[in-house]
Amino acid sequence: MFEGINLFPLFLSLRVALTATLFAFIIGIPIAYYLSRSNGRVADIIDTIITLPIVLPPTVLGYYLLVLLGRQSTIGKFLEERFDITIVFTPAGAVIAALVVSIPFLIKSARSAFAGIDPTLLNAARVLGRNELNIFLTIIIPLAWRGIVAGITLGFARALGDFGATLMVAGSIPNQTMTMPIAIYDALLAGDRELANILVFIMTVVSISILYIINRLEKRMIKGNG
Amino acid sequence: MLKVDIKKKLKHFQLDTKFEVGTGITGIIGPSGCGKSVTLQCLAGLLSPEYGEILLNNAPLYHSQHRINVKSRNRKIGYVFQNYALFPHLTVEKNIEYGLKGKTNVEKKQKVSNMVKKVQLSGYENFYPNQLSGGQQQRVALARTLVTEPDLLLLDEPFSALDHHVKHILEQELLNILKENYSGIVLLVTHNMEEAYRLCDHLILYDQGQIIQSGSKDAVFRKPENISAAKIIGCKNIIPVNSISEVEDHIKCDIYGLTVKVGRQPISNNTTHVGIYSENIRFRKFDFPSDNMFSFTVTEVVKGVHQTNVSIDVENILNLHVSVPNNEVDRILKEEVKVELSPSHLFLLEGQ
Repeated sequence: MFEGINLFPLFLSLRVALTATLFAFIIGIPIAYYLSRSNGRVADIIDTIITLPIVLPPTVLGYYLLVLLGRQSTIGKFLEERFDITIVFTPAGAVIAALVVSIPFLIKSARSAFAGIDPTLLNAARVLGRNELNIFLTIIIPLAWRGIVAGITLGFARALGDFGATLMVAGSIPNQTMTMPIAIYDALLAGDRELANILVFIMTVVSISILYIINRLEKRMIKGNG
Repeated sequence: MLKVDIKKKLKHFQLDTKFEVGTGITGIIGPSGCGKSVTLQCLAGLLSPEYGEILLNNAPLYHSQHRINVKSRNRKIGYVFQNYALFPHLTVEKNIEYGLKGKTNVEKKQKVSNMVKKVQLSGYENFYPNQLSGGQQQRVALARTLVTEPDLLLLDEPFSALDHHVKHILEQELLNILKENYSGIVLLVTHNMEEAYRLCDHLILYDQGQIIQSGSKDAVFRKPENISAAKIIGCKNIIPVNSISEVEDHIKCDIYGLTVKVGRQPISNNTTHVGIYSENIRFRKFDFPSDNMFSFTVTEVVKGVHQTNVSIDVENILNLHVSVPNNEVDRILKEEVKVELSPSHLFLLEGQ
C-alpha cells in the first residue's frame, strides 16, 4: 500500500513534532510551575501571552513569527551573521512554529496539575527534612505527572497537525520542509487522491491513538487521586 | 526546653508571644484565627517571625538579631498537620519512611516496621492513604513524624478532621502512643477546651495573637485570670461587678445591689468581673445553709444529650446559665426554689 509513496513528510512531521514537544517540555514545565505558584499581575500577563496561540489564527501566528525571525529581522539577522542559522523556510522554522502552537496546551495542563497539589504536602516534606529539589522530584512531579503527560500528548498532537503557522514560517519545500498536513493539501491540489487518502489515513490513525492514550490517562488520574 | 519570644505582623493583629515549655504536652488554646497555627508554623520554620528568638534545647532556631533562621528541614521538629498531609501517591510504609533520608536501607526497614507495629498498622503497610480511615491516617501521620525522633512535636488540631464518635477513643490512643514512644516536648494546638483538658498537662491561652494566661491545666481551669481566659475555657457566667471590698476572711462584691460573697483571692486594680462555671451553680431548697442564696425564675430550658442548660433570672438582676444533668432537671425545677453561687466556686476576673 505504501509502495512508491514518499513518506518523507510523515517522518519530518514526527521529527518536528517530537523536537518541538521536547523543547515545549523543557521551557514549559518551569513556566507552568511558576504560574501555578503565583497569581500576581505578572503571572496573569504571562498567562495571557502564553494562551494567545490557542485563540489566534495559525496564519496570524505564522505571520508574527515571520516578522520576528525573518532574515530581515533583528533576531534573524543576528542568528544568520553570528551562527549561520536561518530559521525561515527550514525545518528549524517548522520546529519553532510547532513549538509556539503546542506549548500552551502543555503549560495549561501542567499548570493545573501543579496547582492541584496541596501546599501542606510540601510543608510536610520540608519538615521531614527534604530539600526543595528533592521535594520537586519526589512529591510534585509524581503527583502532577499524569497532568503533565496529558499536556505533552495534547501538545504533541497539536504540533503534529499544524498547518497554517508551519506553512507561513517553513513553507512547503518538498523533501525539506513539507510536513504531513501540508503534503495532504499539496496532494489534493495536484489531484493525487490516492496519495491524499493514504496520508489522511495515517494521520487519522495517529490522532486516534493519541486521543485514546489521553482518555486512558485521565481515567487513571481519577482513580489514582480519588 | 523550648523558649519562644517572637513577634510577627498578621493580617488583623500582631502576633506577640513569649513562653517557655518543657517536656509533656502543652496545649495552645484560643479561638480560630488567634495566631495559634501561625505560632506552630514559625516554630517549624514554615513562616518567619519578624522579630525575636526561638531556642530549642539551647540551640537557636531563629534569632532576628543574629540573623539566624534554621531551615525547616534542619530543625528536627515533628509536625502533624490538621489534615495529616499524607502523601497520596505513597503507601503507608513509604510515607513513614519519607523522613528517614540518608539512613541505610536496612536501618530504614527496621525503623519503619517497628513504628508500624507501635501504631498498630501491621497489615496496612502497602495501603494508600485514601484506603484508610481517619484514625488510621492520623496514626500514619504520627508514625511518620515520630520515626524521625524529633526534639519537638507539633500537633495542629489533631482531631478536627475526625468524626465525633471516634474522637474520644482516638484521643486515648494518641495519648498512649505518645506516652510509650515519645519523651520530648509536645505542643498541641486546639480550639476545643474539652480536648485540651483531656490531653494536656499545661495550657497557654491565646487571644488576638497574645498570651492571656498560661500555667498548669488545673490552675488555669480552676482560676482563669481575666475575661478572655474565662471565655476561652468555656465559662458562661461572667458578671460585671460594681464594687469590691475585702471583709475579714472573704471578699464582698456588689452587683447592681445584689451582695455576693466571694472566697478570698487576690484583687487587682483591673478586677472588674466575677465568674462561675455553669456546672458549679446549684439549685437548693429554700432553707439550705449557705451564703449567696438567691431566688430565681427560669427563662429558658434547652435540653442537650446529657446536660440541660437552664437560663435563669436571679432577683431580676442577673441572667445566669446553669448546667444540670438531664435526669434531674424535672425534679430540680419542681422542688428547688433557691440558687446557690458558692463563694468557693466564684473567681474574680480582670477586664480587658
